[in-house]
Amino acid sequence: MPENVTTIITDIKDIASGILAKDISTIRGFSERQVEAIAKQTVLIQKGVESGDIDEDLREFFLDGLEAMALNFVNTLKGILMVTLEKLWNALVKFLYKAVGVVI
Amino acid sequence: MLVEKTGTMKTIKLYFSFFTLFSIALLSSCEATLAPAYDQAIVEKVTASSDLAMRFFAEVEGGTESESFTVREPVYNILIGAFESLEIQARARPMPKSVAIDKINEMLQAKGSNNITGEYPSAFAFEKIAETFKKMKNTDKQSGLKILALQAFKGQVEIYLDQALTYESFLKR
Repeated sequence: MPENVTTIITDIKDIASGILAKDISTIRGFSERQVEAIAKQTVLIQKGVESGDIDEDLREFFLDGLEAMALNFVNTLKGILMVTLEKLWNALVKFLYKAVGVVI
Repeated sequence: MLVEKTGTMKTIKLYFSFFTLFSIALLSSCEATLAPAYDQAIVEKVTASSDLAMRFFAEVEGGTESESFTVREPVYNILIGAFESLEIQARARPMPKSVAIDKINEMLQAKGSNNITGEYPSAFAFEKIAETFKKMKNTDKQSGLKILALQAFKGQVEIYLDQALTYESFLKR
């Protein structure tokens, strides 16, 4: 493999790794917080129903809430990943264009 | 033989993926915008509204009686209004449209996956927070709020706030 091809591959890997390392740590932290909070919320609803603090009407409301929260957790992850993809994309396109001598 | 064939297939797929990505990059021919713009005003308003919400939860943490509901009603109204207006602000931003998104969606559809565009997760969270405060207000008015019910309302608001704030902050590239 020619030396300049090897350099380009290394540069692309470095660009991607730099962006991914930072964003993935944010995504991991968010996921851990959400999973823990949703699990705690489930237990809380269960206890509230058992003790009578949460009646039938509120139980339905909180159960619907759990479903919507889980759905939006996934949608938030998708949204965050789009931003990461955008950063990655733009950094790579900028690098590739620069490599072939095009200014964007 | 089978292992060799699988290995070759993987290599072909890898080259194909790289080629497709590179082609999209060339087709799009400039910087892509795949997510909405960051809005400092939204982040500041969420921070202020979540402050108010948490102070309110702290004030009523021991439970409430419906007799004293009128004292709390103005705070409920402020909170509901604040999160409904945040929902409007968040949804008012145009969703980016680019050649890159179209190409990615085409690839996803070909693989049987859903498109990447759609609902703003923060706007959805603001809408649900407003709904949570509306339900809390009605319950408080009718029968007062018991401790575990209050904690569940608080938990729901906190989870949605985390989703909205994480997403909105992440938009700052």
